[in-house]
Amino acid sequence: MYLTVRNAIKRYGAFTALNDVSISLEQGEFVCLLGPSGCGKTTLLRIIAGLTGIDSGEVTLEGKAITNLPARQRDFGIVFQSYSLFPNMNVAENIGYGLKIRKASAEQIASRVTELLEMIKLPHVANKLPGQLSGGQQQRIALARAIAVNPRLLLLDEPLSALDAKVRSSLRDEIKQLQRTLEIPTLMVTHDQEEALALADKVICMNHGVVVQSGSPRELYNKPATRFVADFMGISNLIETDRIRSVMPDLLEDRPSASDEQLIACLRPEHIKASADPNGLATVCSVNFLGNLTRLSLESPLGPLTVETNGIESFNEGQKVILEIEPSACTWVVNDTAEVLA
Amino acid sequence: MRAAQPQAMTSKATRFNADKILSICCVAVPLTGLFLFFLYPMAIVFLRSITTPDGSYGIENYLEVLTSSGFWRATRHSMSMGITTTALSVCLGFIIAHGLHRCAFRGKRLIRAAIALPLLAPSLVQGLGLIFLLGRNGVVSRLTGVEIDIYGFWGLLMANTLYALPQAVMIIGASLVLLDARTYEAAESIGASPSRQFRDLTVPAVIFALLNTAFVVFIITITDFGNAAVIGGDYSVLATEIYTQVIGLRNFNMGAVVGILLLLPTVISYYIERRAMKRQQGQFAADIQKYTPSFTALRDIPMAIVCYAIIAAILAVIGIVIYASFVKLWPYNFDLTFKHYNITLAGGYSSLWITVVISLMAAAGGTFLIFIMALGLRRLPAKAAQAIQVLAAMPAAVPGIVLGLAYILTFNSTATPLYLLYGTAVLIAVVNFYHYHTQAFLTVMTGFRQFPLALEEAATTLGAGMARTAIDIVSPFVAPMLISVFFFLFMRSMVTLSAVVFLTTPKLNVAAVTIMRLDDAGLTSQAAAFSTCIMAVVCLAMALMRAILSIATPKPIPMSEA
Repeated sequence: MYLTVRNAIKRYGAFTALNDVSISLEQGEFVCLLGPSGCGKTTLLRIIAGLTGIDSGEVTLEGKAITNLPARQRDFGIVFQSYSLFPNMNVAENIGYGLKIRKASAEQIASRVTELLEMIKLPHVANKLPGQLSGGQQQRIALARAIAVNPRLLLLDEPLSALDAKVRSSLRDEIKQLQRTLEIPTLMVTHDQEEALALADKVICMNHGVVVQSGSPRELYNKPATRFVADFMGISNLIETDRIRSVMPDLLEDRPSASDEQLIACLRPEHIKASADPNGLATVCSVNFLGNLTRLSLESPLGPLTVETNGIESFNEGQKVILEIEPSACTWVVNDTAEVLA
Repeated sequence: MRAAQPQAMTSKATRFNADKILSICCVAVPLTGLFLFFLYPMAIVFLRSITTPDGSYGIENYLEVLTSSGFWRATRHSMSMGITTTALSVCLGFIIAHGLHRCAFRGKRLIRAAIALPLLAPSLVQGLGLIFLLGRNGVVSRLTGVEIDIYGFWGLLMANTLYALPQAVMIIGASLVLLDARTYEAAESIGASPSRQFRDLTVPAVIFALLNTAFVVFIITITDFGNAAVIGGDYSVLATEIYTQVIGLRNFNMGAVVGILLLLPTVISYYIERRAMKRQQGQFAADIQKYTPSFTALRDIPMAIVCYAIIAAILAVIGIVIYASFVKLWPYNFDLTFKHYNITLAGGYSSLWITVVISLMAAAGGTFLIFIMALGLRRLPAKAAQAIQVLAAMPAAVPGIVLGLAYILTFNSTATPLYLLYGTAVLIAVVNFYHYHTQAFLTVMTGFRQFPLALEEAATTLGAGMARTAIDIVSPFVAPMLISVFFFLFMRSMVTLSAVVFLTTPKLNVAAVTIMRLDDAGLTSQAAAFSTCIMAVVCLAMALMRAILSIATPKPIPMSEA
């Protein structure tokens, strides 16, 4: 393991921000910490960066404990949501600042800055001040500043949240490409599940200061372990066991043995097939046309359902439909009592 | 770079310890200053106030003061002066602030400039100006033949009001600026009349500011010494009572008693004011749509007339001092001359130059101390930092005259090595700095609060140490704030009288005291000339500050997408 955090505990007064959290990261891996605000993900990132102290637990890098190593000696790069470029320095000075501290020569700094500006596709802004750049450009510079010193670990704290949708997706692709090319081990904090799915090799889903589930994006989406993960990662229909038993007993096939309350069925909207049928038991309540797909809200014997279709068939409100669900599409998840978050 | 890591580790580790030591020093040095030059002298005043003539401790002094009719008369005078000045200043201040921010008429720049004038002059200039205008030999009595007795309550009331008005306008104006135009547009579209809008939106929003202003003005008034000394006449107030006890009667312990008693109302006012400020802070909104008034004759013409009239009074009082300084023999011969600028009092202009040096020392040293303190406070645990902030904000509750008394009691005693400071310019610089410590400290803290923590963290993660971060990242960011504080301390030190009046010696005099001496000696025209010189220096400093700030202030950073 390249980086590990073992049994991290962090309290702020009566509030427990991290409750015995352990995570790890492999050399060259891109890991996302995903969770709602207040789940402890940023605290964890700051502890790894050395910007926040830890009550108990251990952080190791390449097998050596760095728990008490001050942030400035860790050789990490960090990018904040708020860009945080030094407003009094121009772009080149910002990017070269870490090298200057490491007493690199002026030529070394200049050539590294040029190289990085090429890499982030902003070769002509070296002499501009941060205030003269757009948010997307500023965040690219912040990224270049962080990787200029060849950090041992790149930390990204919601780097895309302050940007608007278009810039966000293009910068997202760039981050991914840079990370894959440079193979910098990277840890990113985000509350946006789409970002996590698109970027990460591994997603660590957190809630209330504990790790709920970690694994590849595919695993988390297709096999969520708990109701919280199912709900946080995309849209899901969560249906109680007794409903399933009375309406679609086929779906009980893969259900591990556990009491009715312990497990709950998770059905992704794209796994439910709806087709118009006057004798159908489900009724269309509303139709949301989203371009590439159509999202339906249904009232059915299973309860209210969200269904997505990308077929050519169009639906009307009040229409009767029949539903088909493959038993393999049904995932049984732990019914944690966590509040449901969209 | 990565290969060099292991060797670099040890030297870096020692540098980290250096960071810790540095951050402790950053707090410890200014904190020692606060203890030595604020808390300790204040403790001495208290001890002296309970020291009886035979050297034991007791409340005899208090009993003596509290049973003397002179003290109660001074207290009555101070209170009625404080309350009247406060009422008048809040009313006039509100009118001017409302005129500036919520009405449409011309000449607002002139009003803004004129309203700040009294801050640029020693407080006794108002008194001096009023004497030239309304005194026995003043313009008014010469023109109308009416004898006005300006010395006493009415003269002092006018002088104090003129002196307090700039602060009142600033505080009330700051709250009016925060009123969002959209709120008024919403009220307008609901159908609220202008007078309803004023009653339902404006008044509730500024009520805290008015309260705040009342406390600030009250403190300024009951603690001011300069005006009372020049124009108060027989109308003795607590500040002059202390002066009389100490300088006139050489009765230091009695002076200490009056000083401690004067502390009571100021500390209470200050405490209430701080509490009110805290409540008001919640009202700050991130983005405010500025209100641009459109011309309404019925409202704006009377408002403009009242504002111009008040400004005219301020300009007349200050202007006449300048004019009188150039006039041959006031009020008999109005030929112009420079002869009053030839100061005949021993020392001449030396006190002016010494004051400039003292002010520079107070400004440079003070700005530096407050900067490193703010820097260090960021790295302190929240509880400790809070306690120190409370201490740092305390000096504002202490009237200058009480602080000055504390200094003479502390430093004019051979009991400690601090005696070496007595009679030096350094001690006067120190008393000026601690007299205005609170305002300077709060300004710098505001600057630091706007400094994004993430910038510091980004620098730290890149490997920058504390000193490096302070120089490369923090100081450019807070530079405008530091420049303002430097000039604030400089300008206040140039004009202050109350704290330094006890600390001057025959060999070491400061400018404001010289004006008082000239006036006492009957050399009123020379006092006017000397005042004009001080005002010139301060205005020059003001202009310099404006120029530097316009260069040093970075362009605002747009956070929006381009």
